[in-house]
Amino acid sequence: MSRTTSYPQTMPPTRPEISSDGPGSRPSRWAELASSADHKDIGRLLIATSFGSIFLAALELLLMRVQLAVPENVFLKGVTFDRLLSVYGETAIFLVALPLIIGLLYYVVPLQIGSRTTAIPRVGQIGLWLFIFGGILLYGSFLFTPPEAGINPLPPFSDATFTPNNGVDVWIGSTGLITLGLLMIAIDLLATLHNLRAPGMAWRRAPLFTWAGAIVTWLFVVIAPIFLAAISMLLIDRLYDGGFFAGDAGGSPILWQHLSYIFFTGVYMAVSITFLAAIGEIIQTFTGRELPRKAVVWSFVVIAIVGTLAWTQNMLTAPIGSGWKYYGMLMSLALIVPFGLIFYNLISTLGSSDFHMRAPLRFALGALSLASIGLAAEIAQSTIAVATQLSETYDAWAATHFTLIGFVLFGGFAAVTYWYPKMTGHDLNEDRAAKSFGLMFVGTLIALLPLFAAGVSGQVTDSYRYFSYEDLGVYNAISAVGTLLLFVGVVLAVGNLVKSRSEEPAATPDPYRGDSLEWLALSPPPAHNFDVLPDVRSTRPMRDIREAVIRRDVEDAEAESAAQPVA
Amino acid sequence: MTVRFDDRRGLNEVGNLIPGWKRMRRRGAASATAIRMARVLLPRSRKPVSLFISLAGVLIAFALNASPAMALSLNPDAASPGIEDANTLHWILFVVILAVIVLVNLAILRAARPRTRAVSPKPGRKVSQVKLAIGLGVFALALFVVATVFSDKSREIPAVNAEPVAGQVKGKPLEITATGSQWLWRFNYPNGAFSYRRLVVPAGVTVQLNLVSTDVIHGWNVPELTGKAQAVPGKTNEVYFRADDPGTYTSRSSVFSGQGYDTMEIEVQVVPTDEYEAATIALKKDIQDAQDKVEAEFKASKAKAVVATAEGKKMKAEINKDDIESADSQ
Repeated sequence: MSRTTSYPQTMPPTRPEISSDGPGSRPSRWAELASSADHKDIGRLLIATSFGSIFLAALELLLMRVQLAVPENVFLKGVTFDRLLSVYGETAIFLVALPLIIGLLYYVVPLQIGSRTTAIPRVGQIGLWLFIFGGILLYGSFLFTPPEAGINPLPPFSDATFTPNNGVDVWIGSTGLITLGLLMIAIDLLATLHNLRAPGMAWRRAPLFTWAGAIVTWLFVVIAPIFLAAISMLLIDRLYDGGFFAGDAGGSPILWQHLSYIFFTGVYMAVSITFLAAIGEIIQTFTGRELPRKAVVWSFVVIAIVGTLAWTQNMLTAPIGSGWKYYGMLMSLALIVPFGLIFYNLISTLGSSDFHMRAPLRFALGALSLASIGLAAEIAQSTIAVATQLSETYDAWAATHFTLIGFVLFGGFAAVTYWYPKMTGHDLNEDRAAKSFGLMFVGTLIALLPLFAAGVSGQVTDSYRYFSYEDLGVYNAISAVGTLLLFVGVVLAVGNLVKSRSEEPAATPDPYRGDSLEWLALSPPPAHNFDVLPDVRSTRPMRDIREAVIRRDVEDAEAESAAQPVA
Repeated sequence: MTVRFDDRRGLNEVGNLIPGWKRMRRRGAASATAIRMARVLLPRSRKPVSLFISLAGVLIAFALNASPAMALSLNPDAASPGIEDANTLHWILFVVILAVIVLVNLAILRAARPRTRAVSPKPGRKVSQVKLAIGLGVFALALFVVATVFSDKSREIPAVNAEPVAGQVKGKPLEITATGSQWLWRFNYPNGAFSYRRLVVPAGVTVQLNLVSTDVIHGWNVPELTGKAQAVPGKTNEVYFRADDPGTYTSRSSVFSGQGYDTMEIEVQVVPTDEYEAATIALKKDIQDAQDKVEAEFKASKAKAVVATAEGKKMKAEINKDDIESADSQ
């Protein structure tokens, strides 16, 4: 809306050097959004889809927790629970986490490096539509057969012999379309990063979030094809009698575990890197101080490489050689170094500076707090002896959920509230954001902390019921209450994002006095992002611009006073 | 200008900076360290409330975690030597994890406290990133060493009993095969007997359990004896245990395997050696009895059939020969 008012309508959408023949008829806003190859439109659509899906994922989680609230519950049928579980897993990973990180990076990074467009926008546009069709396929499957083979459909169970309906085919099709789509967007972003940086924007001057973009897109370019290969093999097994994962036909069910866990572990690391970088940007902006860039960026690189190589941490109970198991243990414990370094720098930079507590910072600190619980709990899951006790229980579930809810939900809200004025052109209602944050935070703690105890008491995951003699009722009942609070908090927080657009005053281009170039563009940025591009001379180009403006004003004033000498 | 004496800021009576070592000596190194640690750890204000809740939540969590299920031990019924080691490692890691979570969250709370006065940036207190990384690396390596030691110990095959039980080769563990199928476990004993759902093992005897599957991946899961291990079709996964005292352990499979997954129970009965031998013999006898019964019934039904055939022939003979021929031609 504001876009049409702030800029002359004769402005051609992406290529200002081509002049048009007058205004012509302008397509409706929705038609423009749907046909746009602009990175900001695609990024916004991805982020909006992700926040819509957060609602779905939270609802599915709530239904499952209600079913598990009391032993021997009959609220859901077994098969309904299995379907909710499978769809929840796919929604949380493929419709919430991945589009959120790729969407945020795709929106912000070209602005941060001072680019007027992306390198191959049509590839990004095709990627968006592949992604959207993947999402439609998944939720359209509720009209016939949704997937029901679990969060990670392990063959041979997901093979046609044991799951003959089309649920697994839907899972393969939708995850494949989504992964392929996001891979194309990542490739576009990578090409942009390597080719379209503003003059002077050397890698050593690139902002943290841009570095995260480079690392995450490289990581995704490596792991996404592995996953696409794995699901293609599963599809051949299912439809054309292949034997890749059949234990008796020369294949191996263990192969699927290797391939799929490389991808899922890589996604875990990509999520961690993206949101740690976003939190780093927030802390830098609100304290006005820089993090030690070298240490933080190297930590990101180490997390991406070593973290993904730690995939056998998920397979400590599988019949694989013990060398694989010790290797997984070593790699995952080695992650203490980069994660510890980043956490230390983030917290100590904040602790030794002045700042005003605002919504993005609040969410960022919530993310750090929750993720610290999840990452620390993963230490126990990474050791062979304890994993034989606690893996595949709700202890593992709670550890993973603490990290991913911490980073995706809280880190996601931190990043989106931080760039909200830039994306929408409006401020965010801080009061409502703080309230929804409190509800979500308390809800997450109540929902997940009892599950550690349930896991230690032996409750296994993925089962639609448990029995009263197992003495697990208390933990699950508390968890259901917490999940309800979390759900309400999520609804309020998403509602605040929607409501603030129409209720809050228009935002200035640089509401926080940020240091990176996205704050040079107007809010929201025009189609070509920047009218003029500065020469980047430091890691803090916006501060240089602000100082130059002040210097110019002072010089002007001096010149004026020199021209009119005081009598 | 009067300078307030402020030892806490490290200023002496005339406002000059006291060197660190002198400050330490003034109060004694230990108390200075304690005070510094307390200042790092303790939040100065109860706000912001929302973050303080995290601290409370963490404490509640561990109160919950520690109360009913594991008052003294995380796996109180550990019954095999390897599981005791896993238990010890779990305790060590539990304390480490607790400390990490509490430290990080207290640091976050302290960093987020509302400022009553301006905080001047402290450029002099820069920590070397390399030193920090080395410190963290040493911590991670120490954890790896500890985890490796205990994991190795927990994976060791328990010492084999001197007196072999029936079906056991002397000096080798007693081999039992556990076969997972949707949604029942089947156990094959060395003497050819088998049982479903319930496994009977002798006390004080080292058992080698060969986990196999006939269809999909099943999760073998008896926390007190073996922990978890996957039974994968086409592969054999071996676990070893030795339960010294009789007892019954009930558990459930731990890898999602379809719609009967929730009912796929495992019950392990540890019984004295003679009872085990009696039980397997009884099982074999039951199976033999059942087989005999089937055979007997089959024979009886066959005899009946012979009688019936003879009767039929008699009846046939009574029927008009022409009718039979016409029926055959149709």
